[in-house]
Amino acid sequence: MASTLGNILLWLSLLFSVLQFFNSYKKDNQNTLKINKIAVNGLLASILLAFFLLIYSHVISDFTILNVVQNSHTTKPILYKISGVWGNHEGSMLLWILVLAVFNYFLFKLYNNKNTIFISKTLEVQAFITIGFIVFTIFTSNPFEVIFPSPENGLGFNPVLQDPALAIHPPLLYIGYVGFSAAFSISVATLKLNIVNSLPWYNYMKPFVLAAWTFLSIGIALGSLWAYYELGWGGWWFWDPVENASFMPWLLGTALLHSLIIVEKRQSLQAWVLLLAILAFLLSVVGTFLVRSGILTSVHTFALDPSRGIYILAFTALLGFYSLILFGSNSKKYFNNNYFAFFSKEGAILINNIFMIIVCSTVFLGTIYPLLIEAITNNKISVGEPYYNSTVIPILIPAILVMGVGPILSWGKQNKSEITKKIFPSIFITTIFTIIFFSIYRLISPIGVVGIVLAFWIISNNLVIFYKKINRSFGMIISHLGVGLLILGITGSSVWQIEKIINMKTDAEININKYKIVFDSIEEVKGPNYLALRGNFLVYDKNKNIITILKPENRFYPITGNFTSEASIHTNMLRDLYIVLGDGNLQKGWTVRLYYNPLVVWIWIGALVIFLGGLISLKNNIKKLA
Amino acid sequence: MQRHILKIPFIVFFLILLVFFYLLMIDRNPSKIPSALLGSKVPNFEANSLFKKDKFYSSQEFTNEITLVNFFATWCKPCKDEHVYILRLSDEMGLNVIGINYKDKAEKTTKWLKKLGNPYSKIAIDNNGQIAIDWGVYGIPETFVVNSEGIIKYKHVGPITKKIYKEINLLVRGLQ
Repeated sequence: MASTLGNILLWLSLLFSVLQFFNSYKKDNQNTLKINKIAVNGLLASILLAFFLLIYSHVISDFTILNVVQNSHTTKPILYKISGVWGNHEGSMLLWILVLAVFNYFLFKLYNNKNTIFISKTLEVQAFITIGFIVFTIFTSNPFEVIFPSPENGLGFNPVLQDPALAIHPPLLYIGYVGFSAAFSISVATLKLNIVNSLPWYNYMKPFVLAAWTFLSIGIALGSLWAYYELGWGGWWFWDPVENASFMPWLLGTALLHSLIIVEKRQSLQAWVLLLAILAFLLSVVGTFLVRSGILTSVHTFALDPSRGIYILAFTALLGFYSLILFGSNSKKYFNNNYFAFFSKEGAILINNIFMIIVCSTVFLGTIYPLLIEAITNNKISVGEPYYNSTVIPILIPAILVMGVGPILSWGKQNKSEITKKIFPSIFITTIFTIIFFSIYRLISPIGVVGIVLAFWIISNNLVIFYKKINRSFGMIISHLGVGLLILGITGSSVWQIEKIINMKTDAEININKYKIVFDSIEEVKGPNYLALRGNFLVYDKNKNIITILKPENRFYPITGNFTSEASIHTNMLRDLYIVLGDGNLQKGWTVRLYYNPLVVWIWIGALVIFLGGLISLKNNIKKLA
Repeated sequence: MQRHILKIPFIVFFLILLVFFYLLMIDRNPSKIPSALLGSKVPNFEANSLFKKDKFYSSQEFTNEITLVNFFATWCKPCKDEHVYILRLSDEMGLNVIGINYKDKAEKTTKWLKKLGNPYSKIAIDNNGQIAIDWGVYGIPETFVVNSEGIIKYKHVGPITKKIYKEINLLVRGLQ
């Protein structure tokens, strides 16, 4: 029943998007708008209903549906019954289409009496993308497939994924990926129509890019937060192919967002922005391909099915060939020869753009290099953290220096003594902050100093900008401040992390930094769908006061047969204490991993601040458009 | 000149997709991960053994015959799938198979083996995963072939399928 209804809704949504495609394709203006209204709303309604139907099936544990059987169980808590809908491949494709339909709706809302042809062209491209994903879902990843005979209970859901941060991480990430689809459609429409200077296409593109970038930022941050406390390795970024798949569009999105500002103000760099918009979306799709096809293995890899890989790849090829050939033949009209002054705001943005592209290419190379080598020599190699740390970080350092000073500069050429005068206050504040920081921490290492200086450089520049009202874009200032905080957290937690792995019996104690940790006891506890062994660790500060009891757990989920370990973390603004309970028994003791992670919380505070800044800018940009 | 530059994104994209297509087309197994241990001696370890009172010393094994080392656990579903092939390797091929019981309970393992059949000549217990770390195990099941001099010759990540069974079969014949 639910399955039939679900399939009908999926086919209905396909019908609406096909209607939108052909209707936008023809030139007749009057009816185009009316019919598109039906198509756009119909698509959104049918896919929304399909999505809620799948949620409903998961919530009531309808085991006639294969997707529910494979990913759910009656004992699963309600929140995870719902998040389980997009925690698997089929359901996540449905979510992907839903987000596409939502952006499609916003694109439709841009219609006014001057831009009908342009928006119609955009909707045509957007409809094409939507059709591609709906067909893919119906034929290779149908979430409404039935199972007969239906089993009594489901197989359960990977317990590692049963987590609040992970429940909202995919939707946020998808808003990011799919938001770039709107930028892609606008870019293709612009190239196709040749509307040089007749229509401000970049004003239409900017809110979508801003939305995509903002949500991608917070989505990535949540994913890393999850990895931090759930995987129990004490780190928050592992250069996993899937992390890279989200990081690369983010880097291109950053470049795109900033170039759009130049286009807006100076009308130059148009061709470059059109290319970036195309590439950002293509990279999002290629990222999905890498994750879903099984070409790379990773913790995120969903069930492998070669037919899926071939489909996504063929579709990416189609989108890529069409848009890039179009770019090759039509983008010349968007060139102009306004050369840039090096010491100017646009100069700084352009330099940063180049850095972002280099970082993105570096990460891309690291991600696909093992595949290239394998295709050529049949040998398998792996590229890991050392590669990324030694290539990405040196490129990012100058990029961050430029990022600090960029917003202070004005548009157009200016003389150097004026620049020196402008940046002097921030150099001064940075120096003070850095001296204060190291007089408290007294842990000087070259890379640590570089990181801290960069963080304070960004922070003080933005304080100066805010105080002197140099730049009125409040969202930008907030986001840039967030980046400063983020760098603070990254530096602290990666340069000064302390790790201890020891065997501990109860009553044993260990010192980490200035804290004494006593393994007090161990007990069995019963959770809603798991059994756990919980260790109680008393944490004393240097004055021998108990500051907290950390309770890491080893959980066993009988339904899926998984073991997980839950780290226990005590957080404050200065540091995290992080304990993971390993294996062991009463006689021999347990393996215990302890981490002292300085400033790590600032990573997520920073990301949140970036997100807020993004939202503020988004609001202002939408207002400008209306 | 400028016209040609504009074609570069397309060309790069085309080349990358070509590689992806090629990788999708060839019969390739992403779970085959090279082991740094290939070609080197087995790591030394000692552990409690299942069914026997005396300890398991790796230094006393791997001396005069080809040995299969199989990391397994009762909670791991793929291990159950591959069990039939492990049995065949032990019974039909007459291979010496050493099991390493990874993060498991002794009673459960005993029951499991009684039900499914026991292909292992000896079973070492790896409660805290230390042996698995020494052997560079990514995830269980994982299987190694060690030659009569104690040198690791082959490693497979994931369950043994019919294809892998044949591969091991050929390899062992070659080693003999």
